[in-house]
Amino acid sequence: MKATLKVINQMQADGVLADYAIGGAVGATFYLEPVATLDIDIFVSFHKKPGSPLLTVSPIYDYLTARGYKTRKEYIIIEGWPVQFLPPSDALGEEALTQAVETKLDGIRTWVMTAEHLVAIALKTGRAKDFSRILQFIETGVLNTNKLDQILKRHSLLAKWEDFGHKFLEDSP
Amino acid sequence: MSNRLQKILESKRAMRKQLAALTFSQKVALLEKLRDRSLLIASSPLRRRHSPAG
Repeated sequence: MKATLKVINQMQADGVLADYAIGGAVGATFYLEPVATLDIDIFVSFHKKPGSPLLTVSPIYDYLTARGYKTRKEYIIIEGWPVQFLPPSDALGEEALTQAVETKLDGIRTWVMTAEHLVAIALKTGRAKDFSRILQFIETGVLNTNKLDQILKRHSLLAKWEDFGHKFLEDSP
Repeated sequence: MSNRLQKILESKRAMRKQLAALTFSQKVALLEKLRDRSLLIASSPLRRRHSPAG
């Protein structure tokens, strides 16, 4: 993964992308115990070009395929890891990207979404594995509840959070 | 819940906390091992023989 991140950092240095943050299972691993995953989700932002309102990841794919990296479905294989590049699809994704935490992986600089943003995105996505991950975050005790509340309020996710609480956090009668 | 099961659950919880406390580099090293194992299982001829496509 170190080699994969080096390539992504080089893309950033070359101006192909502006900011990036690791999300998904690899992002969650920053805070939780490691979980088996086969891919890396990278949320990306681009330098805005005048007259080009559409956000597309094609510059990333063009850059990488020109350097010999192969695509597989929605992924591009970078140094052995399938990577999915995801431009933020809403305000929550944008905020998660701008507030990402800087860290290092074996000396390689990188960015990971905050635990609270990962939880909010998982709640919004709402698959069984997302709910399971939220429970892991709660059990591990890494969440700043005030910060999470603010995020959930800002992005109209409080009702979903209450539903989640009723389903998974209340003891059965 | 039996005492034995209670102990197993407590021990699992403690192990998860211990793993969560590792550095990111240490966790990614474990994650890479888990991934290699998953890929090995997925490529097993036994698994392919029983797959719906195979």
